Amino acid sequence: MVLTRAARSRAIDLAAFGLILAGVAWLAARGAEGLGYHWQWYAAPGYFGSWEAGSFIPGPLLRGLGVTLQITALSLVLCMAVGLATALLRLSPSWAGRALARCYLETIRNTPLLIQIFFTYFVLAPLTGLTAFGSAVLALSLFEGAYASEIIRAGIVSIPRGQWEAAASLGLTSWQAYRTVVLPQALRRVLPPLAGQAVSLVKDSALVSTIAVYDLALRGQLIVADTFQTFEVWFTVAGVYLALTLSLSLAAGRLERRLKGGA
Amino acid sequence: MAFRSEEQQAAATGPEVIRVEGLHKTFPGGVKALDGVSLSVGRGEVVVVVGPSGSGKSTLLRCLNGLEETDSGRVAINGLDLDHRTATRLAIRRQVGMVFQSFNLFPHLTVTGNMNLAQRLVRGRSASEATEATQRLLAKVGLTDKADAYPAQLSGGQQQRVAIARALAVEPSIMLFDEATSALDPEMIGEVLEVMKTLAYEGMTMVVVTHEMGFAREVGDRVLFMENGRVVEEAATDEFFRSPRQERTRQFLSQIL
Repeated sequence: MVLTRAARSRAIDLAAFGLILAGVAWLAARGAEGLGYHWQWYAAPGYFGSWEAGSFIPGPLLRGLGVTLQITALSLVLCMAVGLATALLRLSPSWAGRALARCYLETIRNTPLLIQIFFTYFVLAPLTGLTAFGSAVLALSLFEGAYASEIIRAGIVSIPRGQWEAAASLGLTSWQAYRTVVLPQALRRVLPPLAGQAVSLVKDSALVSTIAVYDLALRGQLIVADTFQTFEVWFTVAGVYLALTLSLSLAAGRLERRLKGGA
Repeated sequence: MAFRSEEQQAAATGPEVIRVEGLHKTFPGGVKALDGVSLSVGRGEVVVVVGPSGSGKSTLLRCLNGLEETDSGRVAINGLDLDHRTATRLAIRRQVGMVFQSFNLFPHLTVTGNMNLAQRLVRGRSASEATEATQRLLAKVGLTDKADAYPAQLSGGQQQRVAIARALAVEPSIMLFDEATSALDPEMIGEVLEVMKTLAYEGMTMVVVTHEMGFAREVGDRVLFMENGRVVEEAATDEFFRSPRQERTRQFLSQIL
């Protein structure tokens, strides 16, 4: 069989890719062997859950994943709200509004997220009666919201002036113009970077394990402390985060295509 | 030959609906866009504004519905003074429709969506009332079959006709046209001018910034020639084209005719 040139170069590509993966796996295996590491992969599925007497008992990793999902979902909604409000404030004619938004942005973007989480949990939470879970959601929303606001602002600014003028000349108030003309177009444009921000949110959420929120990362840490199955558990936890972020990107891509099809 | 009959020409000088007095506007950077412009337009009148680019024609038009802030001077629409209050601005924009050179249709909405938006938000119509008016206006501009199309699926001429219909949907008593045919391919200019002529024929008050001298001659009641932010000459259409008083006007006309 004669291969076309494109097919041949693709086959070479695939072979190279496979070779590199095999090399990495071999290095890892040899390293583990050198450590005298005793692989116990058979134990990994049990950390997700098990069947006992015909009913499913969720394991620590699955319960951790549930907490991570709750935190990210709540934070995602809140961070988009914070981001939108901040973007609108930064573009508002009010001096005080712009200054407020600017202060928030600079504070958040110029301090480490870990410190923000500690500050929320150890300083704000005792003052306001916030739980650890609430502190985690608040800290993550404020952090990701700052970045989301810059993305949304860029989207708003990218809408041509003519759109504003057409809306204004039809008698729409500026809020109506925002709501019905500018924001629908702006958000559509910034959907890809916003999806990237959502992926960051999922990854950054692992930091809340430091304030005793029993998320996926903390569950993994506890299992490792119990069983010393360091490699199996962290490989598994990383795989779960990867699956989470990849499906998020996939969903965003699909949503983007659907919106593009509409207009 | 004038497009409108003698009676219509006479009726065109109805009660004053637009009054502009001593308008001044300097852009940041020191460019004087308007340097003491005054203007009075009667109900049903069609005033055509011509002049070289940068003469302040578009700025004048944009001051009439408050899209542009003025430095000094007065604009009054139907007796209502345009001031810095938002409420006044909104009230005036309900009475003044505007058509732009670049159409400015909303790309994320269908033709019907474009046309229903302001009817619902500004006029408070229900969806069915708005759609009814939209269909009537689409028939008027000859685009009934495009009700569900998106702007990107339309030609430039079709987009501009939708833009005119969209402005009309709010039922303004005055229409402003800012070089409405300048961005169009030559073969599409005619269909847009036709819609504008029909409007003029129906007695709409219009202020038209244009380079289409044929249109100015045929439809205009009065022509305003501007340069450097000033009105150089203002005359009835026939008089303007037949016997311009100013040397500068003659020069301009000889260049473009």
